[in-house]
Amino acid sequence: MDRVTSRGGRLFIHAVLLLFAIYSLVPFFWTTLQSFKTFKDAFSRVPIFIFQPTWKNYQEVWIRSLPEAGSTVGYFILLAALALTCLLLFARHIPIRSSWLAIGCLLGYGLLLWAIPQLVYMQKYYKYFINTIIVTVFTILISISIGCLAGYALARYAGMAAVVILIAALAFRALPRLAFVLPYFWIGSLLNLLDTHILVIVALVAVNQPFTIWMLRSFFMEVPKDLEESAMVDGANRLTSFIHVIVPVAWPGIISTALFTLLLAYNEFLLVRVLTQTNWTLPVAISRYTGAEDPAQLTLAAAASVSATIPIIVVILFFQKHLVRGLAAGAVKG
Amino acid sequence: MNRNSFFAFASPSILIMLALMVLPLLMAIFLSFQYLTFRNITAPEFVGWRNFSEILGDARFWRSFNFTALYIAIVVPSWVVIGFIIALFLDQVSGFARGLYLSIFLLPFIIVPIIGTIMFKQLWEPSGLLTWIYQELTGTRFRVNETSVKTLIILFGIWYVTPFTIVVYFAGLQTLPPEMIEAASIDGASRLQKIRHIVIPYVSSLTVFILLFSIMDSYRVFDSVFVLSELNPQFKADTVMTYTFLTAMQVQRLGKANAMAILTVIGIMVVLVPFLYLMYKEQIAER
Repeated sequence: MDRVTSRGGRLFIHAVLLLFAIYSLVPFFWTTLQSFKTFKDAFSRVPIFIFQPTWKNYQEVWIRSLPEAGSTVGYFILLAALALTCLLLFARHIPIRSSWLAIGCLLGYGLLLWAIPQLVYMQKYYKYFINTIIVTVFTILISISIGCLAGYALARYAGMAAVVILIAALAFRALPRLAFVLPYFWIGSLLNLLDTHILVIVALVAVNQPFTIWMLRSFFMEVPKDLEESAMVDGANRLTSFIHVIVPVAWPGIISTALFTLLLAYNEFLLVRVLTQTNWTLPVAISRYTGAEDPAQLTLAAAASVSATIPIIVVILFFQKHLVRGLAAGAVKG
Repeated sequence: MNRNSFFAFASPSILIMLALMVLPLLMAIFLSFQYLTFRNITAPEFVGWRNFSEILGDARFWRSFNFTALYIAIVVPSWVVIGFIIALFLDQVSGFARGLYLSIFLLPFIIVPIIGTIMFKQLWEPSGLLTWIYQELTGTRFRVNETSVKTLIILFGIWYVTPFTIVVYFAGLQTLPPEMIEAASIDGASRLQKIRHIVIPYVSSLTVFILLFSIMDSYRVFDSVFVLSELNPQFKADTVMTYTFLTAMQVQRLGKANAMAILTVIGIMVVLVPFLYLMYKEQIAER
């Protein structure tokens, strides 16, 4: 559309957008505020906006008891995490192959996550956090690797089988999770697999597969066909030409899809709620804070929610372009 | 690509979908004819159509069905209208402001739905911000009852999916050819006329897409209703999905819950089949 140019019109546009931004942010703003309040401040009938902030709620959510050298250990952990993040951020400016550096940093994060509970006596919430990471990472790895193969095949093969699979996948994407989850629950209890990571990961891969192959297919369709044909003339077979020629070209699209898989796995509530009894991920763990009648849970629920949202906000900040591209690709191409 | 290499590449994914989507669906159909609870989980007992007749005579099921229909009827049009309007406004700014607004607007859609619901619920606790504003404005106390819980569920539904429609419409508006607008400007069309006669027809295929997916997604809504209906101990704010869940996990009637899930599947398929047929024709034409 052509632009509104009058001064009043511009003002009106920004006013509307600003109002909508406030509307979008109010719950985050309020919950963050509540999470830093003491018990007494949080329960005042008239909202308090100026108060002495406290970390107590966060501490209670994450840490069961501090070691004697509490603050020293805390600073050490923070410093290590910060150093790793800086290394990861500035990887491209360091004259080592950046992929090795990235792998090293990820291993470092893993080591840190393992080391924290050895140093500090953590709450159960930390275990749920680790569960979430395990489930999410494995879901992404499995889902994307088999999804890439299928998405590429569906983009290139013109036979009837491809059409049937695509339409069937679309139908499955539309069906409610419960229709699949209840049979999983039955099989899981027959095979004694309930409450294991394997069942959750496999179930997540399966229910997200239709979405994954449709999205990856749309990205592989954009890759010109001559590319792998010329590679195959040079003597590469289909698989090696796929891995060495097609995947690097379609990489941004694969990242977008991986990002959506991450969000889907991180957000999943129903499936995890049905298939696990104690090995929860964060969404299920947090929902436990709200069911209880104990009003003291209110500030804890706020702190738990804010801490579980921070990783997602970091992801958005880093990958906003991929995210918007993914949403647009899914929509415009159907 | 020939047939053999197609199946070689696609088989892991096809096998996973066969084993974990087709098979469970068949299993759900099988289970819906059984009397199955947690106690006889290894030995289901065949009862014929009894689960289905029980559901059709279940007043609570129909109440949850009615609420689901109400939810769809209010939430889906709101998504389309608000999303389109905000996308039009967003289209008017550019550069840094656009990116910033887009990030902020996306936030409700990206965060974990359960957490979004909990944050929304915090506003309506007895010490919450909106409870206080509500009291100041109306002079009456905010009470948790069937109507207010249902209103909150619907309001939350609007809040957290609108970003999706904003982004879809916004992406669609970026592809609008400027010539169309210029031609209309030369003819002296006002802004509203341009929106009415050019933009809305231009995005109509997107609207169909959004309508279809949002009707199905709002039918499947679970997380937010599950958390918010806990505010109401009488369980009067169920949707079909949460009622199915409660039947399975709390009442422990797995067979009946499976029958409900199958009824839902049938309902969704009725809406979906014409669209699938269209997609099928499109794919056939494309190859």
